[in-house]
Amino acid sequence: MRKVLMLGLATFLSAADLSQVIETPDATAILKKDALPAARAYTMIEGCVSDDPKAIARGQYIFHTLNGKDAKENPPEGLTRLLPNGKPKQMGNCVACHNIEGAKGYGNIGPDLTKYKELYIDSGVRNAQFVYQKIADPRLDNPKSVMTVNLANGLMNEREVCDLVSYIIAPKK
Amino acid sequence: MRQRSISAALICLALLGSANGEEKLSMSDADRKMYAELLESNPAEMDVAEGEQLFGELIGTTEYAKMLGVKEKELPKYIAGFPRYIEPAKKVVTLAQSVQMAAAYAGKPVPKLESKEMVKMSAYVKSLANGQKTNIDVEANAHMKEMMTLGQQVFEERRGGRGLSCNNCHSKEIVGRRLRMQQLPDLGAKETAAAGTWPAYRMTKSQMVTLDKRMQQCMKNALMAEIPLGSREIVALEVYVTNKTKGNPINIPSVKR
Ligand code: HEC
Ligand code: HEC
Repeated sequence: MRKVLMLGLATFLSAADLSQVIETPDATAILKKDALPAARAYTMIEGCVSDDPKAIARGQYIFHTLNGKDAKENPPEGLTRLLPNGKPKQMGNCVACHNIEGAKGYGNIGPDLTKYKELYIDSGVRNAQFVYQKIADPRLDNPKSVMTVNLANGLMNEREVCDLVSYIIAPKK
Repeated sequence: MRQRSISAALICLALLGSANGEEKLSMSDADRKMYAELLESNPAEMDVAEGEQLFGELIGTTEYAKMLGVKEKELPKYIAGFPRYIEPAKKVVTLAQSVQMAAAYAGKPVPKLESKEMVKMSAYVKSLANGQKTNIDVEANAHMKEMMTLGQQVFEERRGGRGLSCNNCHSKEIVGRRLRMQQLPDLGAKETAAAGTWPAYRMTKSQMVTLDKRMQQCMKNALMAEIPLGSREIVALEVYVTNKTKGNPINIPSVKR
């Protein structure tokens, strides 16, 4: 049947045109801009880990919040709902995958971070630098990690990653 | 493999620490009731009916079949094989793109992929294949093979604000786990049958949504740049996702959360 159609010159021409009418925007530039840098090592800045309650409060907020715009609670001192460009400040939403003290509606994709200090830091299996690297770019020590990348792609700044580390390894009630 | 294992011993410790038990999954009782009601009377049926009328006025199944070069009575089975390589396009196209071609073939204005009309018409056209099984053939020719490879690449590429890939949430290892309170669906499973069930009425969006739009919604949620409709990459993603659900029955429009 197609052969018969293709024989007609008119149909043949319109067939040539037909491929032209399909919408096919080019996505390569979009994807290139959206690409992730290769995994690399990150070292904690000096004074990264802190027992300052304000730093821990920021870490806690980033951990449990998706973004500043939709958040129910106001961010603690040192964090804002919106970025200077007016876009919502993206938080960690770590609770989407991890349980931790006080987590509400947590997911179970990542390991449970409850009692992290007692179980992993005090026991010496983990240290702050490990936690820092994991949050900054989890691909380094586990290329197959499904965890989000947070520093390598500019989602967070160094201090915010430090705040998260401070929160996770802080003793909890 | 390593994903969740800190070390066997540590995991045991961690488990002790997480005796909080399961909390309720994402659907509240009210949501569940609404979902059941939507299954009884799906608002998207109306969209499909409108799509039928629009399609009839613009193109009609006879012209559409002619453009594709198939017999009209073979349409259902043929439609169940999209996205597919079609000769007049010289490439792999989605159902919606084939409707664009058919409009031009019929000498009519070509509807935009983003338009409401197109969403309704492509839902109607796909519903012609209801009862058929998704029969995409990614081995059919070099074009399909190439798109399948590209689709897998796009599916597995980590990118965007959180450095996530589709595979981070939809890999075999991870399905069934909870992201927040949301169970991660196995795109290929019978009960999901992602390719055979979209366009669907999406409860949380209160409207009918196509498969490519649904994929864009995941991109948006995960802070990935949205790949535009019709681009090679989104067609390739549709090929890849559709192939996961090959063999599952087509049922348009369905209802999704
Ligand atoms: C999409 C899921 C996901 C999200 C979101 C996520 N994680 Fe993870 N996380 C994981 C998985 C899976 C692992 C285990 C695999 C690995 O080590 O990469 C992990 C591992 C970790 C570890 C190492 C635990 C250990 O001692 O081995 C820490 C610490 C951690 N995540 C903190 C965070 C923080 C902080 C955030 C938010 C900024 C976060 N995670 C967001 C999935 C996630
Ligand atoms: C951060 C996690 C996450 C990422 C990344 C993600 N998804 Fe999803 N996806 C989900 C969740 C959760 C659902 C189910 C939501 C629901 O039921 O409302 C879902 C649902 C879907 C569905 C519909 C399944 C059905 O019910 O038929 C498709 C198709 C899909 N995703 C494709 C993709 C593609 C393609 C990508 C990458 C471009 C992607 N997803 C990235 C979490 C994710």
